[in-house]
Amino acid sequence: MFSASSNLIASAELISQGAEAKVYKAQIHSNTVPILVKHRFRKGYRHPTLDASLTRSRVAGEARALLKCLRAGVNVPGIRMVDATEGILGIEWIEGTCVRKLLPGGAEAETELSDADTPPFTGVDALMGLIGTEIAKMHLADIIHGDLTTSNMILESSQSLRLVLIDFGLSYHSGLVEDKAVDLYVLERAFASTHPDSEPMFSSVLKAYEVRMGKHWTSVSKRLDDVRLRGRKRSMVG
Amino acid sequence: MPARTSRPTPLQRPDRPYLALGLEGSANKLGAGIIKHAKDGSSTVLSNIRHTYITPPGEGFQPRDTALHHRKWIMDVIKDALQKAGVSIHDLDCICYTKGPGMGAPLQSVALVARTLSQLYGKPLVGVNHCVGHIEMGREITGAQNPVVLYVSGGNTQIIAYSRQCYRIFGETLDIAVGNCLDRFARVINLSNDPSPGYNIEQEAKKGKRLVPLPYTTKGMDVSLSGILTSTEAYTQDKRFRLDGAESDSEDVVTPADLCFSLQETIFSMLVEITERAMAHIGSKEVLIVGGVGCNERLQEMMGIMAKERGGQVFATDERFCIDNGIMIAQAGLLAFRMGHCTDLADSTCTQRFRTDQVHVAWRA
Repeated sequence: MFSASSNLIASAELISQGAEAKVYKAQIHSNTVPILVKHRFRKGYRHPTLDASLTRSRVAGEARALLKCLRAGVNVPGIRMVDATEGILGIEWIEGTCVRKLLPGGAEAETELSDADTPPFTGVDALMGLIGTEIAKMHLADIIHGDLTTSNMILESSQSLRLVLIDFGLSYHSGLVEDKAVDLYVLERAFASTHPDSEPMFSSVLKAYEVRMGKHWTSVSKRLDDVRLRGRKRSMVG
Repeated sequence: MPARTSRPTPLQRPDRPYLALGLEGSANKLGAGIIKHAKDGSSTVLSNIRHTYITPPGEGFQPRDTALHHRKWIMDVIKDALQKAGVSIHDLDCICYTKGPGMGAPLQSVALVARTLSQLYGKPLVGVNHCVGHIEMGREITGAQNPVVLYVSGGNTQIIAYSRQCYRIFGETLDIAVGNCLDRFARVINLSNDPSPGYNIEQEAKKGKRLVPLPYTTKGMDVSLSGILTSTEAYTQDKRFRLDGAESDSEDVVTPADLCFSLQETIFSMLVEITERAMAHIGSKEVLIVGGVGCNERLQEMMGIMAKERGGQVFATDERFCIDNGIMIAQAGLLAFRMGHCTDLADSTCTQRFRTDQVHVAWRA
């Protein structure tokens, strides 16, 4: 297998292995800005047929969702190349810090636990506002992210505060209130499981979301309350 | 993983050997087991007895009948456990029972016995969360330090990780549990419930070759399984379906084996995927599989491949400790007991709903 895509991967620098893809920093031409290449490599555990169809549809779906977001003015990385059969997606390189690492409790491998009194980042409230606004912009364009976590958001390290949403691997198009509410619920759960005492943080996310959503907020909010009651074996008392 | 093992564990070495009896009966398995925590900090399984309520093919177990089964067998199972362990009931330090989650009637029958024994012999009671029992036993047997836990059984499907004295649920099923999905499909194609429907699906799936398209429904770190069950059932109404499994060269056929194979491949892929997502999210390299479905070798194999691709490791146990048992209740109960936790008689109730993250894990740092 010698394709342009595999050559690109071969010359690229592996940065990390995410949930389902290997992430590389690559250069299409020398002396140009780098791009980020996401390679959904073949999963040995999955049946080949299932794996091929999932990979193809996810790469294509991710590219499609990014395009829609770009058109709607949501801060997402721009698309540089797509090779769906090879499972390769090249996107704009974003310089910044993952939001998870900026918040208490989210630091690498949770080693910091004992020095809980050292959160160096102070603009938490402003950051939460940015998160709420970006998600609302995305939902107004009827795009559901599908995997909202603090790992999937980057705060750009330029002068102006700019939050970029990444990893649209599980995203899809939907105008349903249900899907938007579930999207928010996924984020709420991610906050709760990653960052201890996150309730005030998440409520400021919702506040910013509410402002941006305008008249659409009431229905989403109502549905979010319903969604929270789901899940198994929850205590129904009180 | 440089986890919080750096923190001192709050659990002190025992000043003398401790013995606990664990009683489990939250579903169709009735179990009693005796565990010993020695002075050097090691634990020994002295006995682990189980009696399973098996229904005819095509039928599931009803709460009422299951409770009757437990009531009929529990004295034998406990006596057997004491005898195998070679200890007297007077030697025990505490009696642990499953407080929940599970089926109401079977839980109550077992809790009643636990309470009676506790009163008769003046032994303290410890109510245990079933899911925490699974996790603690898995950790004890495999030696996994701080793994991401995939808990898959007939009533539960959860991805769990430990943080700050709590087993937090990162992902779970939005509707039915994976074991429930497999068991119900076994009923549709009339597979035997002996030794368990899941085991027979696994054997059947080994003969399957063809992967039929089924929905693939992961939602973030959650999964939804009810639609997959419906779709698989729908294939049994398809005109290509042959219940006798007869293959044909001229015709395009779907056999029960193909459906078992497709069902397993699809749902296990989903489970491995969400586990991988959780591992990536919290930066862990260890996975522990617990619960009845955890003894499925195909699931273990798939998880092993995934862990290897990530440079990690998978821990699993065999049917003695995967499938519901009394010893895991004894293990989790004794850990709590050594931290000074007891359940008063007035509080020794059971509950069908008892989430894993409601338990204060006092014995871990």
